[in-house]
Formats: sequence, C-alpha cells, structure tokens
Amino acid sequence: MHEISLVQGLFQQLAELARQNNMTKVVTVTMEIGPLSGVVEDSFRFGFDILSKEDELLRDAELIINSTSVIYRCTSCNTAHESGNQRPDCCTQCGDSFLIAEGGDELILQKVEME
Amino acid sequence: MCDSCGCASPVEEDTHTKTVDVNESLFAANESIAKTNREHFEKMGAVAINLISSPGSGKTTLLEHTIEAIGAEFRIGVIEGDIETERDADRIRAKGVPVVQLTTGGACHLDAAMTHKGFHRLQKEPGGDKLDLLFIENVGNLVCPTSFDLGEHYRIVLVSVPEGPDKPVKYPKAFTSSDTFLITKIDLLEHFDFPVDEAKAEALHLNPRLQIFDFSSKTGENFDAWLDYLRELVANFKK
Repeated sequence: MHEISLVQGLFQQLAELARQNNMTKVVTVTMEIGPLSGVVEDSFRFGFDILSKEDELLRDAELIINSTSVIYRCTSCNTAHESGNQRPDCCTQCGDSFLIAEGGDELILQKVEME
Repeated sequence: MCDSCGCASPVEEDTHTKTVDVNESLFAANESIAKTNREHFEKMGAVAINLISSPGSGKTTLLEHTIEAIGAEFRIGVIEGDIETERDADRIRAKGVPVVQLTTGGACHLDAAMTHKGFHRLQKEPGGDKLDLLFIENVGNLVCPTSFDLGEHYRIVLVSVPEGPDKPVKYPKAFTSSDTFLITKIDLLEHFDFPVDEAKAEALHLNPRLQIFDFSSKTGENFDAWLDYLRELVANFKK
C-alpha cells in the first residue's frame, strides 16, 4: 500500500499549489497512471478518497485518472506492440520472445482545477 | 465588478476557478533526492546496490556470507531497512562492517529520503566514511520497493528456492526494474519443485537485460560466480 504515501505526497504538492495561487478549494485533480507505474489505480483512488475526507482543501475534490499504454519493442526486429497492460507473449512479426517495455510507468499529476 | 477580488467579471458568473497545468511525476521529489544520493555515493567511490526480495529470501544471509568472503578485499557498508527491530543490523555488525538500521515504522518500502538520512548516519560509523561497496537491504516486499529509486547503481532482486519459480511472472516489476536476479538457497532444490532453467527463462522473457545467478550462500555452491560479479562491478566503477 505505498499508494497511501504517494497520495500524501500529492496532497502536500496540492496544498502548495493552492497557496501559491491563493485558492482555497481543489475541484478536480487529473492524474496520468501507467500500467507499469507500480501503482494500483483502485488503491490510489481509495487512498485519495480516505485522505481527502480529512482535508479541508480537498474534501470535495474529484480525482480523474487517465490510463496510458505501454510499447513492447522486439529486441530482434524492433517491431513496436502497443498494449494496455497485457505483455505480448512474443513478437507478432518475427516470433522472438524478448520484448522490452517502453513507457507505461507514468505517475503524473497533469492538472489541478481550484477555486 | 466582482466584489470578491475586484476583477472585471460580473458577480453572477463563477470565474473563480483556475486550472493549473502541472505535468510532474509524483516520483519527481523522490527521484531528485535519489540523484543527490547517487552523487554522494559516487563522491565516496562506492558502488551502491539495492537488494529487493520477499521477506525470508536470504538477503541478510547473502550479505553475511559476502562480507565473510570479500570483506578483506573491499570496504563494505550496509544500510538495513526493516519495519521494526535492529536484528538485521546486529547480524551485519557482528561481521565487523559499518551498518545502520532504518526502521520504517510500518512503511512497506525505503525511499530516497530515508536512504539519504541512513547514508549520512553510516558515514559517522567507524569505517563508514570510505566504502567500495554499499548494500542497501530494502524492506522485504516484492511490490512497493520497486517504485522507489534510492540512488542505487544496481538493483538486485532475490528469489529463494522455497518461494517457488513463478515470482517473475507474478511480480513482474521487481524483475523489469532490476539489473540482476539471484536465485538463492539452491541447496534446497532436492526438496522443492523449482525448475531453475524455467525460472531463468521467464525472468529473461520479462527483462532480456537481466544478469542471473543461482547459488547457495550457506553451502557456498556457485557462490564464487556472485563474488566475481561483485568484483567486476567494483572494478568497472573504479575505471
């Protein structure tokens, strides 16, 4: 459950952003989370919901999560396979089973709407 | 004119929301400290290794036997991460090398900030200010530690024979984010169903760049290959 500590870090960042912009309420928080980030979306959302209830600034904030995809690139023929979270068993072009993941490890705070 | 802030908007309209584009990784703060850690380690001339595994895979036993074997060749230091107790640090201290114990008090992983504090404490221990090899033994957990760069040069994941061969498939990130994979406790192979070659192939399927070793710290079987690998890491680093 390292998601909780990541949400705590996020809330510190949001408090700082609100202070810099003289805002008192966070309305929406938009995150981008990749399937290889090591973060379970449901756990992140759970942490967000629990901790935002205790936080004046974030009490009614909505969390929007955009999922990203991963590119699995073949080490033999360089073919790129785009995938949600399922790693292809082998390359669809040459059949090689050694594929290297590119991207998909994002855990990004994209934007914050405040009032 | 709006009576809240004096802007030109009519008061009826809600124009007081503001959207800020941030586009920053939540790992950015950790990564920035990790970078500083790496600079500290390099200034000292130490290769830093982050050891990740489930509880009970033999991380501390690996360190005890490694120190016994090459403690005279290299200056070794250890940062121990556990949720509670000084037990692991006591075991390492008994081998005569500088060690600090970090107790996370419930947290399931080490992060770069904890490692930073631990490193400065280690520097104050006798012999801790000049090291060739720094081992950071993470909290026993194959999930959470994989998301946190500590500033290590090499990440090494361990799986022991009694745990079974399917850990790479079940916990892929531990293997895709690591440089090296150690299969430990091979002295127990006769008692467990652990096809070593299959486990190696599955791990390589996830991460073709993995270096893989299988050995027993206890009996010493194949242990020399691991020691030679460490010698090579230190030699490459000093170049």
